[in-house]
Amino acid sequence: MSAASAPTDRVPEQISARAGIGLRFPHHQAVIARRPRVAWFEVHSENYLGGGAPLRDLETIRRDYPLSLHGVGLSLGSVDGLDAVHLDRVAALATRIEPGLVSEHLTWSISDGDYLGDLLPLPLTEEALDVVCENVDRFQNALRRRILVENPSSYLRYRHSTIAESEFLVAVVRRTGCGILCDISNIFVSAANHGWDAHSYLAALPPAAIEEFHLAGSSVRPLGDGATLRIDDHGSPVDPAVWAMFGEAVQRFGALPTLIEWDSNIPPLETLISEADHASAVLRQAQEITADAEFA
Amino acid sequence: MPSLREVQRAVARGIFSADGDEAVEHIAEDAIGAAERFAIHRNNAAVTLIEALRLVYPVVDKLVGTEFFAGAARAFIARHPPHTACLNDYGAEFADFLGAFPAAAGLAYLPDVARLEWAVHGSLNAPDDAVLEPAALATLCESARGRVRFVPHPAVRLLTVRCPADAIWRAVRDGDDAALAGIALNVASISLLVERRREGIAMRRLTPSEAHVTALLFSGAALSDVALQRDGATVVSLIAEHLAYGRFAGFAAPAFAGGHEN
Repeated sequence: MSAASAPTDRVPEQISARAGIGLRFPHHQAVIARRPRVAWFEVHSENYLGGGAPLRDLETIRRDYPLSLHGVGLSLGSVDGLDAVHLDRVAALATRIEPGLVSEHLTWSISDGDYLGDLLPLPLTEEALDVVCENVDRFQNALRRRILVENPSSYLRYRHSTIAESEFLVAVVRRTGCGILCDISNIFVSAANHGWDAHSYLAALPPAAIEEFHLAGSSVRPLGDGATLRIDDHGSPVDPAVWAMFGEAVQRFGALPTLIEWDSNIPPLETLISEADHASAVLRQAQEITADAEFA
Repeated sequence: MPSLREVQRAVARGIFSADGDEAVEHIAEDAIGAAERFAIHRNNAAVTLIEALRLVYPVVDKLVGTEFFAGAARAFIARHPPHTACLNDYGAEFADFLGAFPAAAGLAYLPDVARLEWAVHGSLNAPDDAVLEPAALATLCESARGRVRFVPHPAVRLLTVRCPADAIWRAVRDGDDAALAGIALNVASISLLVERRREGIAMRRLTPSEAHVTALLFSGAALSDVALQRDGATVVSLIAEHLAYGRFAGFAAPAFAGGHEN
């Protein structure tokens, strides 16, 4: 479907530099019935690849809100390449929904055709970099648009990795022309789990490539011997340390579309709106400071 | 240095089987052991896939309880890992798996309830193809009618079960324990037609004759052949019902070899 033949009863697809909410099934009806004051929604593409009520709901919601399609199953890091059927289905969904943003993860989930059910980290090697770039190229060609790649949260590193994750991401951007979905919480989680410096990670990213931020809650899992791992479970409010990092990121990269994600123990819509309002306030403040500076 | 393919195969084996040794060898270790780090991803994967199956099979889940379901799902996932990242399409073999699952051997009705839930799930998520409007058939000339082959709508399912799976499904969905307790399990086989309507899923029991005709119609048999099988009145009223409920997405009326359709 070309833009010319698109339904005309929709708001434009562009997503503004305000806070949106990750929309999950439990809130579909509330959003349709109440049309809450939310700037935009992001959904997981894989939840809408069939038909029936989910897709019908999404098309209804699209009339009133710009949407972002966030993939969790394309497996950009698979050595086997992208699943052609899955890619076609995602492309068809994008044609139908006209999203303002399309994103996927710097991870892999598929091996020899088996889907593993998790976003797994890659060995950060030249070989993996070639694989990811080839897959991102194919994804962008299929959708005929720039996509965003999200930095992952991770609990392990491979012995034979040779490239820092931020450098790896920057190389993917340079070679494919994709953008970056900068997940602040994932940097926070991975930094805690691997002893990285979160500020250096942010500083290594090219400002021009960043197009979206993600914010989510995480939790601490105690291990046997007093050690802990931080788990990116998207099941609680955004941590104060992540809000602080978000403020730093907004200063560094400017005000950008920012998403509140919540996937386990999903709270009432009001709780999500309140988190989004907090993020919007940070974005607005940054915009005012920028405007003042320009005025002066 | 191991190749990416070697690493991904080792990790995949470690995710789906108890043997994660090979995967762990590739993982860096510090104050936290490589096995402990890998265990987080194994657990994430298990939870994601078990919960995806629970969403497809909520009635089986309620019948057997959360823990039993998780155990059965774990065994199923190891035997039948998903071949798609679209988890809506995952779990087709769960009913047959439960039929051969030793721990569920005493629950003879369970596989049929799962079979019904898969039909319900498939119906709910089927594409929104346009339904065949009866008026479209009126344009056919008399001689073409016998050659009509219907195309079933993707949201319609026909299945045969050996227990009152529909009554069990309803009682569990409604939380009606009294109704559930009153269900007689020993019945002859039942043919069920499952479809989605505006207000939700609908199920209708078909008589053996209705089931036979409907199966023929849904498999694309020519109308003249279907009419030969049973009395004309049954066929006509059944087709009228199927049309009224939008159970066909279209039809073809191929001309005989060498003939031409106007």
